[in-house]
Amino acid sequence: MKLSFKEMVFYIIPLPLIVASLFVGPSNVVNARDIFDWLTRSLSLSPAPDAQNKQMVEAIVLGVRLPRVLLAFSIGSALTVSGNSFQALFRNPLVSPDILGLSSGAAFGAAIALAFPLLPLQPMAFVFGLLAVGLSYFLALTRKGVSTVSLILGGIIVSGIFTALLTMVQFLTDPFKLQTIVHWTMGNLHNASWSKVRSSVLPILFGIGWLFVLRWRMNVIALGDEETRAVGLNPEKEKLLILIPATFIASASVAVAGMIGMVGLAVPHMVRMMTGPDNTKTQPVSIAFGGTFLLIVDNFSRTITSFEIPIGIFTTLIGGPFFIYLLKKSLMVYREL
Amino acid sequence: MGISVKNLDFGYADRRVLHNISLQAAEGRFTVILGKNGSGKSTLIKLMAGLLPFRTGYIEVFGRDIRKLTSAERARLIGYLSQFHSPAFPFLVEEVVLTGRASYVFSLPGREDLRKTDEAIDKVGINHLRQRPYTELSGGERQLVMIARVLAQGPQMILLDEPLSHLDLANQARFLALVKNLVAKGLTVVAVLHDPNTAFFYGDDFLFMKDGFIIGPEKNKDPWDPSTLTEVYGTKIDAVPFRGRSLVIPI
Repeated sequence: MKLSFKEMVFYIIPLPLIVASLFVGPSNVVNARDIFDWLTRSLSLSPAPDAQNKQMVEAIVLGVRLPRVLLAFSIGSALTVSGNSFQALFRNPLVSPDILGLSSGAAFGAAIALAFPLLPLQPMAFVFGLLAVGLSYFLALTRKGVSTVSLILGGIIVSGIFTALLTMVQFLTDPFKLQTIVHWTMGNLHNASWSKVRSSVLPILFGIGWLFVLRWRMNVIALGDEETRAVGLNPEKEKLLILIPATFIASASVAVAGMIGMVGLAVPHMVRMMTGPDNTKTQPVSIAFGGTFLLIVDNFSRTITSFEIPIGIFTTLIGGPFFIYLLKKSLMVYREL
Repeated sequence: MGISVKNLDFGYADRRVLHNISLQAAEGRFTVILGKNGSGKSTLIKLMAGLLPFRTGYIEVFGRDIRKLTSAERARLIGYLSQFHSPAFPFLVEEVVLTGRASYVFSLPGREDLRKTDEAIDKVGINHLRQRPYTELSGGERQLVMIARVLAQGPQMILLDEPLSHLDLANQARFLALVKNLVAKGLTVVAVLHDPNTAFFYGDDFLFMKDGFIIGPEKNKDPWDPSTLTEVYGTKIDAVPFRGRSLVIPI
């Protein structure tokens, strides 16, 4: 397969970006120069002896920034791949984990798990995320199939219900847990840690790998149920095979970082603008560019002010107007809506 | 025998659509099904394509029970062209045609699949369209792309459901000439068509449907016999002799 220059850029950029992101942060004690020196010495590029603040630098770079950078990147990839897969699966360029109610459902599941520590966080987020997508779909399902707008309306209803339930959990828990839940709901990466990376990276890698294998089949599915069946695939089975990992990775992201809104909607569109709709291209570019996008936004969110703005606020503020633009545009194109 | 249907009954929830259908479509021939709107033609052709489950009756494709075929086996025997549709994403023509290979592909299409796609595009003569987004094409061009997709699938029989309904006269003629050409090369084609005149000029064998029954044509009788067609369409039809056949017109 030939790689275009554009694609090469997407695949190469993440590495220098990840390294550069290690230099970004609010610390007054350790500056970029210290980190650079430490890096060159660690990689044996410089013969100079270890500096005095070696431990401090290592604590900040390896203990705080590296897990955060990895988490931001993997969540960006996961949300983008998930959104792109949902859009192919539902043949609807306007859906995403947030629009389908998945994020609210997973957030509710995770909030219950936070409020009642006996319940496991990841599985709760996954079960309620899946439940939410299923509900949105069945609300939108009519004899004639599922229309673009009815699916969005179904998602809004389901999203509303789970947000209400989430608020109820917040209302009923004690103030200490309440704060945790509220902060986490906003979509936050500031308490990233190696344990969070460990708990989320494996499920995300697994789900992304699964969807990566199925990337060409998404082209088949995206053409329609009857067209899929006519060429020898069972559309119901194929959709389920995509729906499960797509829900899995999005809810894993929600479980670890809360609701980082609109990434799953807006970034797949940016990717398609650059590669065209062929999922054999959009899927790998989504992995690279989705991670790049969220990492850049996160770098801004932790440096732009002296205190940290939750990243979910940022992404939603960017993504909201983008969604309105897409909706207007697609309503002009698809009159039958 | 290409396809043979025996004693097939079919209905949706509360409505019987097909009654005791028995028919045969010969291998290497162009069989046309004619009938009024709502007479069950489209349902019949979907059943013959293996796209709908049925309980009563029997459908045999090249000697094999259609219900015992896996989806992939079925797709390699039977291609099906549905009526006009419009995908949500602007896939390129060659990407759309390539999806015909789905029953041969596990993860990514291979060299053989790309070769078959090129062949199909050549055969249909749409090389100039291959890099164009499918969504920007006219109805006639889309239909050609979809038939290329069916050819890439490599079936031995193609079932067409009103393939001409969105085409202008020139594109209709082009499409039918292409179908004739494929039939001449050994492909079996069964099509639902609207216009009896087109059907009589291009088709080899004919079947008439009315209210879910096959009602003809009777043996030893021309299919364009006005009395038969008057019965099929439920409106008075007359015939005018033309090049050894007849043109039929409602009057």
